[in-house]
Amino acid sequence: MSGQVAIVGAGPSGCYLAQALLKAQPDLIVDLIDRLPVPYGLVRYGVAADHQGTKGVTRQFARLFERQGARFFGNVAVGEAITLDALRAAYDVVVLAAGLSVDRPLGIPGSDLPGVIGAGRLTRSLYEHPDADALPDLGPRPLIIGNGNVAIDLLRLLAKTPEELEGSDLGAGPTKWLERQAIEEITITGRSPAAQAKFDAVMIKELAKLAGVTIRVIGAGASDDPAEQKKIDALLALDGIATGPRRVTFRFGLTPLGVEGADRAEAVHFTSPAGEETLPCSSVLTAIGFDPAADLPRDALVSLAADAEAGVLAPGLYAAGWFRRGPRGTIPDNRADAQALAGAILTDLAPDPSRQGAAVLAALPDVTDYTGWTRIDSAETATARPGRCRSKIATRDAMLSIARKDHGDAP
Amino acid sequence: MKLAILYGTETGNAEMLAEDLTAELEGANEVDCHNLADFAPADFAPDTFYLLICSTYGDGELPASAQPFAEVMEAEKPDLSAIHFAIFGMGDSEYDETFNHGPKRLAELMAAHGANQIGDRIAHDASGADMAEDLAFPWAEAVIEMAQDTVGEAA
Repeated sequence: MSGQVAIVGAGPSGCYLAQALLKAQPDLIVDLIDRLPVPYGLVRYGVAADHQGTKGVTRQFARLFERQGARFFGNVAVGEAITLDALRAAYDVVVLAAGLSVDRPLGIPGSDLPGVIGAGRLTRSLYEHPDADALPDLGPRPLIIGNGNVAIDLLRLLAKTPEELEGSDLGAGPTKWLERQAIEEITITGRSPAAQAKFDAVMIKELAKLAGVTIRVIGAGASDDPAEQKKIDALLALDGIATGPRRVTFRFGLTPLGVEGADRAEAVHFTSPAGEETLPCSSVLTAIGFDPAADLPRDALVSLAADAEAGVLAPGLYAAGWFRRGPRGTIPDNRADAQALAGAILTDLAPDPSRQGAAVLAALPDVTDYTGWTRIDSAETATARPGRCRSKIATRDAMLSIARKDHGDAP
Repeated sequence: MKLAILYGTETGNAEMLAEDLTAELEGANEVDCHNLADFAPADFAPDTFYLLICSTYGDGELPASAQPFAEVMEAEKPDLSAIHFAIFGMGDSEYDETFNHGPKRLAELMAAHGANQIGDRIAHDASGADMAEDLAFPWAEAVIEMAQDTVGEAA
């Protein structure tokens, strides 16, 4: 008896953890459980549609299920369909790797006006997450608040011409939606000076390729720190790029005080070291971090944690990825974390053969498995439209129906 | 001639390719596979042909697992003039300015210490249509053929 591990969340952190666990101990039972019928979480619904190279890590994750013996249990919402306590009773180890999916609120007057939209909510809609809201109207002049990689991803997607989205997996509906927005101007504002912006320089350099924009960078400043200056240099290299009519403006050091508008967002009022300023806009996109969803009591678990920094919440209960570290760090950062956590889990592991493991999930309705995902994946790639590498199945019902197909047909 | 595959990885993609290549080659060859993070430059041997697989990360930098190796190389400055290697790079042309700069740096680091490169540096593009192994397997076959007469000669 080698031990049974349940990982809640089949996104990159959960998958890297499973990979590290199974590499170290190949006979371990590792079950990845996800609330969606499909695996890969952020890689499928958060990584930008035009960053297909980044999505290539799913080839590694497929190995988990195809060669390393990990199992996938999709369409299982822990905290709803099954309690965390029931899962903990069934497995020697439970790891929460559910990410952080709720947009951190702006929390200023007017931030509940229509037209103020969180980046997570918008990207879930853009990337056809089955639980996403309908795509909102942004109008011709969206203003982005935030200076991290999520904000830059959003800026790039909105700034691209239809031709620049060739090879992506942006869906038919979102593609039409984007054209309909007829965006004229995108302003991106950060609270910090450019030197302290959270984005990576490489994300800024990528913007130099945009084919239909006129870029201005205002008040990038300077820094004595080489890493900071590298970001500033990348920004300054964008200033003056003029490849087309869509205006993109970078602003820094602007702290939002309030969103203004009669019945929807029409402007944001800021304060800055230079004084107060109001920037008109047609919508406000916030990309200022993420908070946990309500289904798992993350705050309570972390506050009671034995060693939250190491990801140890309680005996047999661990946290990985953004669920542990907060909304910072890239996919490979979380790989390194997962490898460290796997070591700690295996050190602590004391298998109890009386635990029922995956049998605890057997009575749940419409649970999908990895074979079901391969059917969905094949259907999505087989029906890709010209200029796209995939056509995502966008509803839970359709996913379940395809995942179930041929069940029982085996000889 | 022995073979050793050394990989520098950040997301694990280069590691996966290194493992696949090891499996592909080990039937007909004596082959070892090491993460560069676990390989000491003092262990380079003239009777072994080194197949380097390296990605790029961040702003054209070496991937995390190659960085400690690079630091030791620069500190110890080993004489690698009897060592032969070939290098396969992995990158993403979405970041065109720094595309495949990681393996380029690694190849330059090897050359700077006298090591002899066999064959051209091949670059796989994660945003392209090819699977890495579809380029890497024929590459390995070709460079191993090229190395047959040279590797170990000086030893």
